[in-house]
Amino acid sequence: MRAEPEVQDTPAEVDAAFRTLRRVAVTYFIVFLAVVAAFPVLTMTLDWWTESRLLGDLSPAFLAAAVGLYVVFAVIGVAAATLSSSVEQRMLGGTGAEGPEQDPTDPDADPFGYGPEGWEDFGSVADEPPGRL
Amino acid sequence: MSTAAVITLLAVFVVVLGVSLITRPRNSSTVDFYLAGQRVGVVTNSWAICGDYLSAASFLGVAAAVYVSGLDGAWYAVGFAAGFVPVLLFVAAPLRRFGEFSLADFLGRRLESDRVRLTSVGVVQVVILCYLVPQSVGGGITWELLVGHGILGLSPYATGVLISTAVIAVVVAFGGMRGTTWNQAVQFLLLFAALLWLAVMVTADGFRYGDEVPVHTEDPVMFGEPGARYGHLGQVALVITLAMGTAGLPHVMNRYFTSPTGRAARTTTLWVLMLIGAFYALAVMMGTAARDVIPRSVADHPWLEELTVDGVLRVPEHALPVLGRIYGEEAGLGLVAAAALIAAMSTVAGLLLASAATWGHDVYERHINPGATQKQAVRAGRLTTLIAAGLAAALAVLLRPETFTPAMPSLVATMVTWAFAVAGSALTPVVVLSIWWHRTTAAGALTGMLAGGGAAVAMFVTAGFLEPSSLRDLLAAPTLVAAPLAVLVTVLVSRRTSAPESIREVWVRMHGTAADRQAERLARMMVRRKGKS
Repeated sequence: MRAEPEVQDTPAEVDAAFRTLRRVAVTYFIVFLAVVAAFPVLTMTLDWWTESRLLGDLSPAFLAAAVGLYVVFAVIGVAAATLSSSVEQRMLGGTGAEGPEQDPTDPDADPFGYGPEGWEDFGSVADEPPGRL
Repeated sequence: MSTAAVITLLAVFVVVLGVSLITRPRNSSTVDFYLAGQRVGVVTNSWAICGDYLSAASFLGVAAAVYVSGLDGAWYAVGFAAGFVPVLLFVAAPLRRFGEFSLADFLGRRLESDRVRLTSVGVVQVVILCYLVPQSVGGGITWELLVGHGILGLSPYATGVLISTAVIAVVVAFGGMRGTTWNQAVQFLLLFAALLWLAVMVTADGFRYGDEVPVHTEDPVMFGEPGARYGHLGQVALVITLAMGTAGLPHVMNRYFTSPTGRAARTTTLWVLMLIGAFYALAVMMGTAARDVIPRSVADHPWLEELTVDGVLRVPEHALPVLGRIYGEEAGLGLVAAAALIAAMSTVAGLLLASAATWGHDVYERHINPGATQKQAVRAGRLTTLIAAGLAAALAVLLRPETFTPAMPSLVATMVTWAFAVAGSALTPVVVLSIWWHRTTAAGALTGMLAGGGAAVAMFVTAGFLEPSSLRDLLAAPTLVAAPLAVLVTVLVSRRTSAPESIREVWVRMHGTAADRQAERLARMMVRRKGKS
């Protein structure tokens, strides 16, 4: 069984996609930095941040450091990964018809998503030299 | 040694050696030894990266830092978890698409420079050593607490360091990336299970997060409020240092080369981000719980008297093992100690493999013996694994954690911070620029790497001589200053020198998805073919 010939990316296509992806990455990185920097700013400027009590008598500051920031990081990750994958799908490959947009957290969305069965099956992929897939 | 301790140690060694035996490499190729054949799936790789990343510093150190410094200690956890945001945004997919065997190899190939590769090898070794030693220290601490006896006239601590490092060195040397991947995946699941068990036990015992934190705000160290240990500048500096450092950690970044495609590498990072977020949230909770549970348990548990002074632990890293013993007696201590040993060992495995890749592949194969056969190259990797393990164990034996505790919230977490500082200041800026700025040159990268790394080392050494202040906080977590310096130097020098001629091909390879699509199509075809047969 032979693979169908794959549509190669042209340098112009890659350059356009690269610029869009860079914009996406930098934008989300700025959001990330703003979230991290917001903590001390809120501590300095807002008494409510450390003195009030929200869930179970926890202050907003403690809640943020104990749970909230991890949730924010995950949300940033999901949004950025979804957008980046979508940009690549639309701008690279020429056809734009590789299938419906996929949720990046869904292991079913990726044919490599499972354990030993999944990885051991793809022998011909491994036979390619590294970086030349 | 108690029965529980014997069972725990046996269980750890059976799991580690059993997994390695089952998943041993099938042939002696370097792609198999260093990259597990580039066939590691998303779920497995995300577990393995978590096992690799969640070290003794995360398991013992974060809870210890929260136990000592309260909310300020939680910044370690935030910083460690934040690290995968820049990795996801800037590094994972393009790094995998470019390929290669290691970070140093990536930089050498991308910038077409042997000097860049060799300098990167030097920086990578500094990072690995800074990271490896505290893991061995963690192994020693755990053995000391769990077993309490040494062998061959050695202290319990030294015995723990030597045995845990030796076992994992043998596993890595003979299991390669394939065995290490499975070990790290299984070890992460065990680690997470131990933390979950503790969370369930302290909650069942009546610990309520919200009720306990405000009580501790009355303590002199202001448990529930920021500012006890770090000023505002120090908080941001610590988080940025830890967050930027992750993208330069060789043992974590090398794992991305094992993904089948760039898209799989990105998805893997997303899973890692979620899993480690959950892990650190639990670790912070346990540090808080230890603060509440341990002082009131001294009266009921006489064995706590020799570990505490006025209800406060002498060694903060004992917080989780002590909680385990309070709630599960010897078996509970065994479970937590096994998890701590596993945390240290799984990270040591990744670090040793990264060390083997830099010496065995980047130096031996590329420079010393370019005509080496696959067998010779793999043998060189195995030998360097054993040498790096020996060096780390020797340094860990020389460093006893009690010596440092008054000056640092947690020796294990602090030493790991140094590794993050060097990685984030020297490697991350150059890696990110090489991926996203096509005019990056070898000369620019070289000077940027040296400027960032040199500044980071100079700053945290200087911090050691200063009294507590905002300036000291900034110098102790130097990436906030050193990384922009590295970027500036790289950009200025790159603008005066010429970029590699092959940049157009490099860009198509690194930012294009043709190879991803081809690999995915091939995989789908094989799955369909298997389904039909």
